[in-house]
Amino acid sequence: MIYRIRSLLFGILFLFSTPIYSLEVIEILGGKASEIPIAIVPFEGFESIGGQKAHQIISSDLNRTGLFRPLNTRGVSNPPSSDININYTKWSSMDAQFIVVGKVESENPISGNIEVTWSLIDVFKEKTVISMRYKGKKSQYRAIAHKVSDNVYEHLTGSKGIFHTKIAYVEKVNNKKYSLNVADFDGFNSRPILNTTQPIISPRWSPDGEKIAYVSFEKKKPVVYIQNLRTGKRTLLANFKGNNSAPAWSPDSKKLAIVLTYNKNSQIYTINADGSGIKQLMRSNAINTEPSWAPNGEDIYFSSNRGGSPQIYKVNINNDEINRVTYEGKYNLSPSISYDGKLLLFLTNDQGKFKVAIQNLISNQVLKISEGPADESPIFAPNGHLVLFTYKDYGKTTKIGTVSINGLKRLPINVGSSIIQEPTWGPVTN
Amino acid sequence: MNIPQFNFDLIRNSNLWAILESDNNLQANLFSFLIHFALFIFMIFSIQWQTKIPNFAEVELWDAVPTQIKNKKMKTKPIINKQIKKIKVLPPKIDKQQLKLNEEAEIKLKKKKVAKQKILAKKKKLKEIKKLQAKLLKQEEIEKLQDKLLEQEKLDKIKDKLLEQERIEKLQDSLRDEELKKKPTIAIEADKEVLAGVNSGELDRFKALIQQKIQQNVNNQLCGLDRVELEFEISLMPTGDLLGEPKMSQSSKIASCDAAVERAILQSQPLPLPQDKKLFKRLKNLKLKFHPNGHYDL
Repeated sequence: MIYRIRSLLFGILFLFSTPIYSLEVIEILGGKASEIPIAIVPFEGFESIGGQKAHQIISSDLNRTGLFRPLNTRGVSNPPSSDININYTKWSSMDAQFIVVGKVESENPISGNIEVTWSLIDVFKEKTVISMRYKGKKSQYRAIAHKVSDNVYEHLTGSKGIFHTKIAYVEKVNNKKYSLNVADFDGFNSRPILNTTQPIISPRWSPDGEKIAYVSFEKKKPVVYIQNLRTGKRTLLANFKGNNSAPAWSPDSKKLAIVLTYNKNSQIYTINADGSGIKQLMRSNAINTEPSWAPNGEDIYFSSNRGGSPQIYKVNINNDEINRVTYEGKYNLSPSISYDGKLLLFLTNDQGKFKVAIQNLISNQVLKISEGPADESPIFAPNGHLVLFTYKDYGKTTKIGTVSINGLKRLPINVGSSIIQEPTWGPVTN
Repeated sequence: MNIPQFNFDLIRNSNLWAILESDNNLQANLFSFLIHFALFIFMIFSIQWQTKIPNFAEVELWDAVPTQIKNKKMKTKPIINKQIKKIKVLPPKIDKQQLKLNEEAEIKLKKKKVAKQKILAKKKKLKEIKKLQAKLLKQEEIEKLQDKLLEQEKLDKIKDKLLEQERIEKLQDSLRDEELKKKPTIAIEADKEVLAGVNSGELDRFKALIQQKIQQNVNNQLCGLDRVELEFEISLMPTGDLLGEPKMSQSSKIASCDAAVERAILQSQPLPLPQDKKLFKRLKNLKLKFHPNGHYDL
């Protein structure tokens, strides 16, 4: 009993002997869409392949996102190649919050293999965030640089980097020749996977990265094909009466939504990837087209004139329940959903100009991220932070480019002087 | 009718008469008294010298206003005129010597009267002066009394106020004690500093300045789209630089967001701080609550 009382007294004494200090509370609401200033230091012993050096590739990658502001490191004396002996005062005075340093070494001059060692350093905390080493062939030099960009991006934004991904697009040469091309996300290493004299439209990369579905006019009418990217083999998915168009993959890559004019008006159907199990999704006298499968696998977003002017709706494939999604603007079409299902991308007619817009599906706020006047075919990058779309270069030739989802950074993808259209973005693959 | 006759013999035979005969002064005094008495009588029953008789105005006194009676003419009776006519005006009998005596007597009386009046006036004036003085004295006394009363009232009021203040302070003290008992130990010093007279306006101003500087550096692009909240605790040096690293007490559950907010704090150094030691003491340890996507910004 005495022991208990003594313990209690000690407890009370301890409570009153704890240090007393004041703690004012300050609430900070909101922030600013700013770019992270980052210095990509030229890599020591760097090699140049295709005219670009590693630090230039990394700078270009990060700059395109609208989340980073690569600093000019030209003329910096004694650039570091590792995270040892960093002059933090110098980098801090340059306004750098992070620096990327590294070196490229030839592992074996005969085999041509290279080794890239690099580090990401936090200038504020004066410590190394990450250090990595990549080994590969000289021909993989750009890919290794993109991997560095991916890692930097992932560490600082928490999202997967898309710099190692591929895009596909249609190149039209002299109105006579059409080719479906695949390239790195920045337009490098482009190669055709299909050449034809008939138009190709609406290519869509499967979420598993294995196949591309597209619409070809080679049967004198639009029909849907699926092409395997590994084997190059293609299969005719839909050649029904009327037009067959607008393929959209389900998240599991096992089904597609397509549009048929089987019964006069354009209507949405679902079909298995092997061409079986065709099923009309909803019955309506209005035009229902441009399906885009939501990541939940249950909703399909589409454009329809059922309300008078074209607007975006969504339908639940299990119960055919339809809801209107867009209310801002009188003319909205070409929906695409982000990988997390939180953002809707679409084209909007803004006083005669077609612009790319994003609607936050939580708050329903709409932000126009391009300037028009004839932008088309917007599609999300697999991480949902960038948008690929077509635009009229100087009002004439159709080109492709990217725009950050905050609308702050719009940059072209240089893939040639021809007409470039109908882009699609491949998934992030390991 | 029997008229009582004055028996002079009795008087002559009396001792009084003997005294009169022997004392001349007494005789003179008696004579002057008699003359004065005669004059006095004459003054009362004097002769009317006026030849014109003044017009009389007849006035009837009514208890109430009489009602007019028609067909009846008011008849006035010339009673007075008849009476006046009946009065015979007798020519006055003039005794020159007597007149002179009368005049002199009158002058003397007038002089006496004037003198008396003057004396009376003086006496009145003196009385008035005395009264005034008395009044003034009384007024002064009253004023003094009033002043004293006012002072007393003021003193009473001040006493009441002081008592009220004491009562309020005691109440506040008791309430504060109760509050302090309820509050965690962290807040005790803050309250003490409030009691010590920290300028709350200045405190709020510096808090706003700190809030503004940090907010400008929060890159909310790295905090996703959902509504997120996170908290940091920081300690500051008088220069506005951080003492140690920011300590995260609540995460946003988005690593990039946590890091972005931490960078914003670090980037905001030096933070604006007051020169005043008491104010600095209040701001040297801060809890920063962040809501980067306050309004679901894209």
